[in-house]
Amino acid sequence: MTARQIPTSSLPRDLLDQLIRLLKRRGVDYADVRYEHLLHESLVAEQGRVASISLSESSGICIRVLVNGSWGVAATPHLARASLTRAAASAIELAKASSLINRLPRPLSPVQPVKASHRSRFAIDPFDVPLGKKIDYLLWANTTLMGPNAIKRATTHMDFHKRRKLFCSTDGAAIDQLIIESGAGLEVVAQQGDETQVRSAPNSHHGALSQAGFEYVKQLDLVGEAGKAQEEVLALLRAPSPSAGETTLILHPTQVVMQLHESCGHPVELDRALGQELSYAGGSFMTPEHLGQLRYGSQHVNIVADATIPGGVGSFGFDDEGVPAQCVDIVKEGLFVGYLSSRESAARLNLPGSGGAMRADGWSVAPLVRMTNVNLQPGNATLDELLHGVKHGYLLSTNKSWSIDDRRLNFQFSTEIGWEITDGRIGGVVKNPLYTGITPQFWGKCTGVGRKEDWQLWGVPNCAKGEPMQLMHVGHGSSYARFDGVTVAPAR
Amino acid sequence: MIGQAKLLATLSGLVKRTRVDGVSVCAHAKTRRVFRFAFDAIHQDLIQDSVGVTVKVVRDGRVGVASAGTLEPKSLQRCVQAALEIAKHSPPPEILASLPPSHHLRSRRDYAASTARFSAAACVEELKHLFRICQGAGATLAGSLVTGDDEFAVANSSGTACYAASTIAGAKLVTMYRKLSGFASGVHRDIKRLDLEGLLKQSLRQSLCEAEPVTPPLGAYEVILEPQAVGELVEWLGYTAFGAKSVAERTSLMAGRMGEHVFSPEITLYDDGTEASTLRTPFDFEGTPKRRTMLIDRGVATGIVYDTAYGERFNQPSTGHALPPDEVEGPLPLHLAMAPGRTSLEAMIRKCRRGLLIPRFHYVNGLLNPREALMTGLTREGTFLIEHGKLTTPVTTLRFTQSLLEAFKQVLGVSKERRVVADPNQDMGCALMPALHLASFKFTGRSAS
Repeated sequence: MTARQIPTSSLPRDLLDQLIRLLKRRGVDYADVRYEHLLHESLVAEQGRVASISLSESSGICIRVLVNGSWGVAATPHLARASLTRAAASAIELAKASSLINRLPRPLSPVQPVKASHRSRFAIDPFDVPLGKKIDYLLWANTTLMGPNAIKRATTHMDFHKRRKLFCSTDGAAIDQLIIESGAGLEVVAQQGDETQVRSAPNSHHGALSQAGFEYVKQLDLVGEAGKAQEEVLALLRAPSPSAGETTLILHPTQVVMQLHESCGHPVELDRALGQELSYAGGSFMTPEHLGQLRYGSQHVNIVADATIPGGVGSFGFDDEGVPAQCVDIVKEGLFVGYLSSRESAARLNLPGSGGAMRADGWSVAPLVRMTNVNLQPGNATLDELLHGVKHGYLLSTNKSWSIDDRRLNFQFSTEIGWEITDGRIGGVVKNPLYTGITPQFWGKCTGVGRKEDWQLWGVPNCAKGEPMQLMHVGHGSSYARFDGVTVAPAR
Repeated sequence: MIGQAKLLATLSGLVKRTRVDGVSVCAHAKTRRVFRFAFDAIHQDLIQDSVGVTVKVVRDGRVGVASAGTLEPKSLQRCVQAALEIAKHSPPPEILASLPPSHHLRSRRDYAASTARFSAAACVEELKHLFRICQGAGATLAGSLVTGDDEFAVANSSGTACYAASTIAGAKLVTMYRKLSGFASGVHRDIKRLDLEGLLKQSLRQSLCEAEPVTPPLGAYEVILEPQAVGELVEWLGYTAFGAKSVAERTSLMAGRMGEHVFSPEITLYDDGTEASTLRTPFDFEGTPKRRTMLIDRGVATGIVYDTAYGERFNQPSTGHALPPDEVEGPLPLHLAMAPGRTSLEAMIRKCRRGLLIPRFHYVNGLLNPREALMTGLTREGTFLIEHGKLTTPVTTLRFTQSLLEAFKQVLGVSKERRVVADPNQDMGCALMPALHLASFKFTGRSAS
């Protein structure tokens, strides 16, 4: 076995069973124990040279107990029996201490405990691919980005993750999951005089990440993307800014991803809607009294949280409470109909069961309600049909900056690139486009969603939430989407 | 706690056993006890133990980096093997940075036993007290209370062996009363010196206001930014402007502007990881001692921060700002400070005819146009309209879109009092900021709330 493989022979199944028996003996109302072993390989090339290659490995156990209506969670990397016994005692001590304040019971929605295993789909385990092969490909794409004097930085990167997870509960669940993710991308920075521009491909913010093997990286065609990105970043240096005002926008799927993430995914996290993130990330305008009542968007807007879709980095077999992956309706024909939820938050709203969205970003933290793959369902329109009839507007692609208020209403996004649309035709490149709006008003102005053939699934590998902050991998899928009467301005 | 002797022995032993041209090992072990609460109930509590070890090896001019989440000898050996395997396949870099000179630093001066020993039951007692005060005022409370300890160590084959132990305690308190919320936060090494009741009263002052919030017209306003709001802007500058990599790539606002007046003479910014009143760290991830580094001296672009590799590239010594070896952001300032001025927050408010008092921002993003330090973000709890020198009415959420190159040129005042701004959950760093009175700040949007 090399250093790049998870040692399956030493998976601590027995330790987990012993911990569950111990916690039952200690009289907890409920407990679950989660072991995770994580491998992450990261490769970065800059300016035609390798800038960094690193491999990180981490494993540990998280013990979560419910005692007298209060949670207690303890996490440790030390797997010796004595350390785990201490951690179990700490979790119980925390729960008992909190129960001195907590007055209300904390019921959990029911879940059928299962003994199961799940393995994400992959053809080529990226940790089996020789480093030399990865480096050669990374450098080939990188050198393709370079050349003109105006190019100041050329970066290409690859990331591979392997997560082995065991979960046991006092209800009798015993679940084993293996999830592999692969991703790659590039970024080029060009500068001329005081003008600096950036272009990423196939998506910014390491968004080209999929639950797949090395075959996904090969499909991404970084070398082909590099030539196009170089051409576009140089065009941006000479491009005009968009004119300020209200106009029609067509968003490329790479930007709809961020729009979905910030203005739909976060506000429908039920723990957040119940006020549990107020001191850090904020609240939500989509509070429980609006469920089934709020008109979130136009009839074209159908949004689901789908943890079952192959390739999505928010997919899994079971969440970190042992709840099976589901596809949950969030917005149906514009109406707000569902939440991302956990066993506890679902019970608070008397929902029939958890939506299965409870996940932790590693063994060292407690699970929270997280996005799975929050997707805008495809419509029927081709891009030409979306463009048809647009007197003036912009097609915007690839997120550059993002910001939204603490209740997820007022947002502002800028993208790396835009193209002017005149009389239904895509024209010249515009630089520094920025648009802003209020969430339900914006989605209410959605006048068309692209067809299934143009639908793309991307990853957001750095979704921040919680204290201590957890960075979760979540997914978003979309086709093109058209919005009328949107406020656009140049970012200056 | 692992302890200085054991942690350094483990790292130094690993360095000695790894027979290559150069090896550097850094480790960060931490414990965090976190209570999160909302609407008078604790909904999350966690005790977290973790350790991270990163090994960088240099063999035949090739570099390999690997990390492990344990001190267990077999796992560390696997980590070294992984680093060696990476080095074997890595092409040699253009310039191979040497290891920094040997340093032997030991510090326990920021370790408070009272924080490390603070029990779960004691935390809950503190929270019960806060809940009682809040309920007495007719308000509800949400927030978090964090305590923890950190051990940070670096050893390398040049002979460096550095160790620092510290503790941290911090709280964030959101109080809610009718339509208004208030916020206050604080950090200290010693939980006994973290004034939780004072923070709660500060938060309540913002929320216990009978006046209905107003939404003023959009446009440019005079603003008074409290230290946390200043810190949120300056930390983005730290990320986009003050590291050597962004200057090398010319995306930094400092690139090509060294020696020029970029801000008002009232603004002096520096990074100082040695300042006793902050959450100081004696050395960086290469074991180089932290050096106070002037960045903006009375408005003039003066300096940036370096690690060993970027120092050699710019022909400068390292300033002690290296990040972990698996980071690709280059050196960054983690202890930004703005020099104090001569006025006070109260005097600033008295001087303001019409403007906004902003305690903190939400979701600032500094990537819109880093060359111009163009940023956007939103106001949050505690924003008030100032009229004729007095706080009058609370203000609903507003969005700003503003170039700091413009805003920091028109400074009306800097407070002499400064505050440490930090998140107790974060691994390292903080900001030491005064309040800032700016002549003009552009508000471009509002929330429907």
